[in-house]
Amino acid sequence: MSRQSLCRPWEHQLSRRRLLGTMASGAAGLGAGALGGLVEPAVAEELSRQEKQVIFIWLDGGMSQLESWDPKPNTQFGGPFRDIETSVPGVRFSELLPHTARQMHHLAVVRSLHTQDNSHSAGVARINRGDPKNRGVVYPYFGSAVAKLLGPTSTGMPPYVWVKPYSSGFKADDAGFLGARYGALAIGDGEPKNDGLPLEPPENLLLNPAVSEADNQARNDLRRMFNKRYASSRRPEWTDASSYVFDVAHKLMERIDLFDDTKISDKDRERYGQHDLGRYMLMARRLIESGVRFVKVNSYHWDSHGDHFNGSQSLIPQFDQPFAALIEDLHDRSMLDNVLVVVMSEFGRTPRINSHVGRDHWPEAWSVAMAGAGLNRGLTVGKTNAEGTFVDGQEHDVGHLFHTWFQALGVASQEVEYNNAGQPLPIAHDDHWPIKELLA
Amino acid sequence: MFLLFRAALILLPVFVLSTAATAAEPLHVEIDRLIEAKFAGRSPAEQTDDTAFLRRIWLDLAGRIPSTTETRQFLADTSPDKRQKLIDQLLAAPSRVDRLENLFHVMLQERRGDNEEWQKFLRTSFEQNKPWNQMVREILNPNDQDENLRGSAFFYTSRLKPYGQNATDWEGLTRDVGRLFLGVDLQCAECHNHLFVDDYKQVEFQGLFAVFRNLTVRGGVKFPAINQQAMTEQLEFVSVFDPAQRQTGPRVPFMKEFPVPPLPEATDGKPAPKKKLTPADIGFDPLALLATDLPVAENDLFVRNIVNRLWFAMMGRGLVMPLDLFHSGNPASHPELLDLLAREFAAHQFDMNWFLRELALTRTYQRSSQLPAGTEMAPPAADFLVGIEKRLSAEQLLESVLEATGNAARLKQPQADGKPNEEYTKLLKQFQAAFANEEREPEVDFNASVKAALFLLNDDDVLNLLKPVETNLAARLAKIDDPRQLMDELFLSVLVRLPAEEERTAVLAYLEQNSSRRDVALGHVLWGMLSSIEFCVNH
Repeated sequence: MSRQSLCRPWEHQLSRRRLLGTMASGAAGLGAGALGGLVEPAVAEELSRQEKQVIFIWLDGGMSQLESWDPKPNTQFGGPFRDIETSVPGVRFSELLPHTARQMHHLAVVRSLHTQDNSHSAGVARINRGDPKNRGVVYPYFGSAVAKLLGPTSTGMPPYVWVKPYSSGFKADDAGFLGARYGALAIGDGEPKNDGLPLEPPENLLLNPAVSEADNQARNDLRRMFNKRYASSRRPEWTDASSYVFDVAHKLMERIDLFDDTKISDKDRERYGQHDLGRYMLMARRLIESGVRFVKVNSYHWDSHGDHFNGSQSLIPQFDQPFAALIEDLHDRSMLDNVLVVVMSEFGRTPRINSHVGRDHWPEAWSVAMAGAGLNRGLTVGKTNAEGTFVDGQEHDVGHLFHTWFQALGVASQEVEYNNAGQPLPIAHDDHWPIKELLA
Repeated sequence: MFLLFRAALILLPVFVLSTAATAAEPLHVEIDRLIEAKFAGRSPAEQTDDTAFLRRIWLDLAGRIPSTTETRQFLADTSPDKRQKLIDQLLAAPSRVDRLENLFHVMLQERRGDNEEWQKFLRTSFEQNKPWNQMVREILNPNDQDENLRGSAFFYTSRLKPYGQNATDWEGLTRDVGRLFLGVDLQCAECHNHLFVDDYKQVEFQGLFAVFRNLTVRGGVKFPAINQQAMTEQLEFVSVFDPAQRQTGPRVPFMKEFPVPPLPEATDGKPAPKKKLTPADIGFDPLALLATDLPVAENDLFVRNIVNRLWFAMMGRGLVMPLDLFHSGNPASHPELLDLLAREFAAHQFDMNWFLRELALTRTYQRSSQLPAGTEMAPPAADFLVGIEKRLSAEQLLESVLEATGNAARLKQPQADGKPNEEYTKLLKQFQAAFANEEREPEVDFNASVKAALFLLNDDDVLNLLKPVETNLAARLAKIDDPRQLMDELFLSVLVRLPAEEERTAVLAYLEQNSSRRDVALGHVLWGMLSSIEFCVNH
């Protein structure tokens, strides 16, 4: 937005390096957003459409593979639900996923997950970090990893946004050793505020009511004037970094419409549903359309140790309806080629049904669904045995998925490394590999 | 550096190696000589003008920008030694204690929360200008009997918590003691010899870890305190690359190992249960040994680490960067200078006031951050040809905002009940939330964040500071009619300089367009200044 008119040769150099996303200093970590002012808005939108993006849906507690992606009806542990046909002949889902079944020709389902941790406390973080080898550092979650490796899109929107229940704000924890600037900007669902905003925007996102749009423009022009004079005789990095964050802040403030419920069409409202997960997934679509690189969506209460089947009957449809709508929308808008969509949990659920009619934690054999970003469509990878207790054939760990997703996003996962203050670190488990069947 | 490591390993006193400069001249003269010797014909930036120097030294030694009164006084002073006088005056002022408390709190705690007893330890230490070696001794072996000293245990208690895959983060504590007191980040040497830093051997990590893994947080007391269990046998460890069992006693890394004594014979023939033994029972106290033998003049890394960190705080860049990566493959930008600083600091009994004064007196410190006219390519920061911008801590920024907007007197006045002003406490928390790094992240680089930008843009409490209240800046400006006087007061108050002609014209034109609502418009001008990079950094 505010480029200095007095540019020096090294500034151009800086911008180019930023575009390549290779600088390691504080200012540089901000990535390609420096382009924000150089690209015409229409062009920027086109560019961002061609840029890879991610929607990562996290069903916290563990969704049951048997009531969703890998049903085993009429077997010892199959439970009461039937299976149904999908849009891909031969692939069958649980009857609790009727909408999603009709989108199967866009999806890829890995049914051979075998992961290492059956506890929530450690398992959540391990899965989210791709469970790499322990090298004594705290690895980033997938969203922070993508924010680091791909940076923001050319729209200037922040790279990593997290749609979640409860609190909003800037959450650094996901970033691990990458540092806070690769953390998530969280959009939460706080207490009802009766202000017409469905999801709570980050703090201070609304233009202060005492400041008119015109005054905001004027005071920021003054800020730019002081910055320009200051920067005209100094190294440009810090002024650039400061200008960049004010630009992103304004970019977000301009998109306050994202938090305005009245902008949602009745059709979308109906298709995504009015429950939380539906509203979150619709928000995810809108954020991706606005140019956010990575959107994480959280849903809780999937840890059904008791009364599992009644629980599934109420919970899984809340996932099914909006997820199918999301896939359909991304496809209709020609976005699915560039947007990777992933649905996962920290583990699956036990085939054995416990005495409380629940299913417990089961990392031994479970499923993850995904779509988009050039992944092959309409296929399943791997399988479980007849009773769904173990993987039959090649097992896949979360490290294989991370490799596959990075590859789909154009990152050579077996070559690219993080540089943690001189310590080179593989971006995914070094003993794992991309799943060939999924990559075109 | 490689030689020095070897020297440390074989316990040669470092002094033997340093044959270069004799300190015939005051240290600040020697510093400039060594820095300028590397200019190699290139022109450095000019020396700061009075206002730039004034702002810089106030931020560095008092933790805030000066008031207009203080600025005008300094500008009016025509004596040739007025900079030196100001440096001495600031070093003698109580504000130095506030500033050093903040500097060392952020450096040593890295935003792991705060504690009143810890504050008291830091404050009394800086009030007495306690020598650094003594301070570190008191941190490494907390004295729970002395009310002024016991808070130092917060360094340990704030770290002895679960973290990552560690139920008690002794590993993190080990790493931090290495990083913060020796300038070596041994993290990668926990499981094997460091793969890229030849000097960092696993045994150095494990030997330091051996000291700390017997520490636990003491419960049942209202102040931070620890317990130490006796160490009855050597620590066993293996490398992930080499299955051979190895052992070490507690170590001062790169200096010495303390042999673990055999357990004393029990009088009744039965050995005491190991678990219940205290260091006193067996006459072997690794913590006390470490505290005695680590912070000493002969420990090259210990001395170099602190002079490098103080140099960084004043000059904006360490002679060794990163600050915690001293090793022979990462030499100082000015090795001879680092030698000299270390030697002189130790010779002056680790006197931080003396050291800060010498740094402040240098031409290097007083060099402008403006690139020399005609510069095509900014010279490498490590050459110190141009003054380096420094990040402001959240606290420096808040104090400066309050000073600039004339709200300091009102908001820093304690309440009737003796407690700090509530509005001030709230602002402090908000500024820390917006501008401080996350817990465990050192505050080294400038960290621009969207969160901070949104905070400055839209937060009510920030914007309220810009409105006329009592005798704050906005109220003072409202009473000035003369445009020239108005602009001078505004710029001196906020940016600690007079306006350039084009700024004067632009701001007055904006005020003219908004003459029917001058207070509001002045508020926006103030905001534009406060959120500018010029205000938000120390340059």
